[in-house]
Amino acid sequence: MSHVFSYGFRYDDNECETETSVAQAEVEDLVGDIYLNFVETGTLAQGGGAIDDSRHKLLRAKHEQFIHDAINGLPSSFTLLDASQPWFSFWCLNSLEILGCNISQQLRSRVIDKLSRLQCPGGGFCGGSGHLPHLAGSYGAIMALVLVGGNAAYETIDRPGMYSWLMSMKCPDGAFTMHAGGEVDVRGIYCALVIASLLNIMTPELVKGAAEFIARCQTCEGGIGPYPGVEAHGGYTLCGLAALDILGKTDLLRLDRLARWMSARQLAFEGGFNGRTNKLVDGCYSYWMGGAFPILQKALKRTRVDGYIYDRAALQRYILACCQDRRSGGLRDKPGKSPDLYHTMYCLIGLSLSQHYVGVEPKEQIADITSVYSVPVRMMQWGAMPASLLVLGLRSNVVKPVHPVYSVPYTPLASFVKHFYALPPLADQLA
Amino acid sequence: MARVVDEESDEGLLLPPMSEQEEWSDVVPIPQDDGRHPVCPIAYTDEYVEMTDYFRAVMAAGEVSHRAFELSGRVIDANAAHYTAWVYRKKLIIDLGLDISEELSWVTEISRRHIKNYQLWHHRGALLVLLLDPKDVEHESQDQRVQDPAIRNELQFVSTVIEKDSKNFHAWSHRQLVVRSYGIWDQEMAFVENQINEDVRNNSAWNQRYFALTANQSADEFVLSEELADREIGYAVDKIKLAPNNESPWSYIIGLLVRHAPAMLHERLLPKINELAADTDYALAVSNTPFYWSALVDIYEERAKALEGKERSDVEAFAIEACDLLAKRYDPVRAKYWEYRKQALQAAS
Repeated sequence: MSHVFSYGFRYDDNECETETSVAQAEVEDLVGDIYLNFVETGTLAQGGGAIDDSRHKLLRAKHEQFIHDAINGLPSSFTLLDASQPWFSFWCLNSLEILGCNISQQLRSRVIDKLSRLQCPGGGFCGGSGHLPHLAGSYGAIMALVLVGGNAAYETIDRPGMYSWLMSMKCPDGAFTMHAGGEVDVRGIYCALVIASLLNIMTPELVKGAAEFIARCQTCEGGIGPYPGVEAHGGYTLCGLAALDILGKTDLLRLDRLARWMSARQLAFEGGFNGRTNKLVDGCYSYWMGGAFPILQKALKRTRVDGYIYDRAALQRYILACCQDRRSGGLRDKPGKSPDLYHTMYCLIGLSLSQHYVGVEPKEQIADITSVYSVPVRMMQWGAMPASLLVLGLRSNVVKPVHPVYSVPYTPLASFVKHFYALPPLADQLA
Repeated sequence: MARVVDEESDEGLLLPPMSEQEEWSDVVPIPQDDGRHPVCPIAYTDEYVEMTDYFRAVMAAGEVSHRAFELSGRVIDANAAHYTAWVYRKKLIIDLGLDISEELSWVTEISRRHIKNYQLWHHRGALLVLLLDPKDVEHESQDQRVQDPAIRNELQFVSTVIEKDSKNFHAWSHRQLVVRSYGIWDQEMAFVENQINEDVRNNSAWNQRYFALTANQSADEFVLSEELADREIGYAVDKIKLAPNNESPWSYIIGLLVRHAPAMLHERLLPKINELAADTDYALAVSNTPFYWSALVDIYEERAKALEGKERSDVEAFAIEACDLLAKRYDPVRAKYWEYRKQALQAAS
């Protein structure tokens, strides 16, 4: 597999330097130096040459070590994330799972213990000991429990409590507050719907107005922002699009405008994604942007043969060549930044979703798409289609396929869904 | 020992641990119980452990006091993402009847260290409406409202942050909250234009231009008159001239017209773009930027919808040719996207 690397794809500032173009040039310098290492000797001419992609290697052992070191302890600088405790478990377990590493029974038990201490009596999980329950913390906790798997994990969750707490976070305009007295934005809708769709606590009251709120957050540029009027942003775009897929209402968006904005987020020189127009590349957008393409694909009723509307190889090249920290293990935002658990997980998810073609072929999409009761069937329709596998570099780089909406591998996801949908509906669901 | 800097003397004052302070002797701290073998334990400082242990106790008791208020400040300064402390602090401000302007000053002070933090901005937004109820200034003119110290200070704070971090997402979002809450739309465009002059590639500013232009009305409500469209087209093209390979003005003007007046893409935008492409000063730079060709695809695709027969297929053929040029030469990283656009055009014809 070859790719022509060319300095011609560097950002042309038209000899009008601004803060934006200067920052972009600095990143391109770092990235260019890295890519230059892969240019085949003999092909390097002025301005570029053919890249040899065969040598890219996912440093599995180093990343596994990085994660286990974090599991054993984090330095005091992490005090700033002290209110995001459930996320640590999610970032670690999902990264290990995607890498195909073994997750010991002991580690699973430790996570269950940790998270059960973070569940609030009134329902929902908090970000830390003594905190109010929080939607992002609850999302992180539930996803971590999906990955732990098994009855001990499932039975930890106070399902009726979660439902009543979610309803107490519900706003009249259709969105959700992140916590009592907290901020309202599209993230809240995503967190609430992921949780509710997994726990089998979806009701018309819970979802009411949510789809319309998300649609109001689509900007003129085509992407989705946190709140109506605010700039389109990768994180909120994934949240909004994924939530709409759960609801079966992706049609509320101008999909053509969304496709345009999403594809424009891939940077020509770096190959990775930025999160907003004229901003810098960042490895975490490998999921927030890269992961949105499979969902867009389904919404547009495109097929596997059509292919995703972005350059999968270029994204993998960026992740493998520029985001891995060869010294300490772990993955990062961009060269020059330190690796961290958040970027490790999101780079790996992005790698997975660019290697594997995951989707639902148009002729298989079920007709009843907007009912809350068809959610589990529609969610579990997603699967990887091996015929469109694309692995850059060593074949051993291939990681586990993940569900684009839930960002976790299919096996633990399916077990979780199977358990919770076998439970009787809550009284509220029957009302 | 907690090291505290005395504001007047600038000397380091060593305070004893809270457990040794008389003031706190009535409180039994609540430790964080992480279990026997926690995952990802953080190596907290002793100071942080103690202050959060006492804070948990104070919150559990529902204590309303100045010492609780001060403690919330210390906890927030150590961890600005401690969302529960912010909520509790706001409650204390209300219950104790504390001065909101002073609180806003304190938030300004600590924001120097915590600029990308959600909670800080949300706190400001919540306090602002307490300090100045929008209903109280409804009857005033916009000019009068902008002079109100609370509003002026808030806009000043946002400006200061944007000056240091021109695309700070929270800052721009907060500005929208202030403008929207108090209806001070008239002054916003000037701020936007200043920011675009600072950096013509600042997309947050371009997004704000749409916000200011439409006064955040919905797509159905806002009417884009021909006059306004011409003004915006002129403005966008002027900025494109500065740096044709800048995505923001192209994205802005096409987004505006596609949403509010698609027919004007061909009627009003295309002539200006063609003029630019024919101008020897700009021709080379314009024809080399993918945004020019991308604009043509959008304009011609929209145009084709209004035509029939050979006229229509000629226009579509041109758009398809532009897609090919983009996929192969000007924008190959987006080859799959241009293939998708081409498929759509071919299906339409």
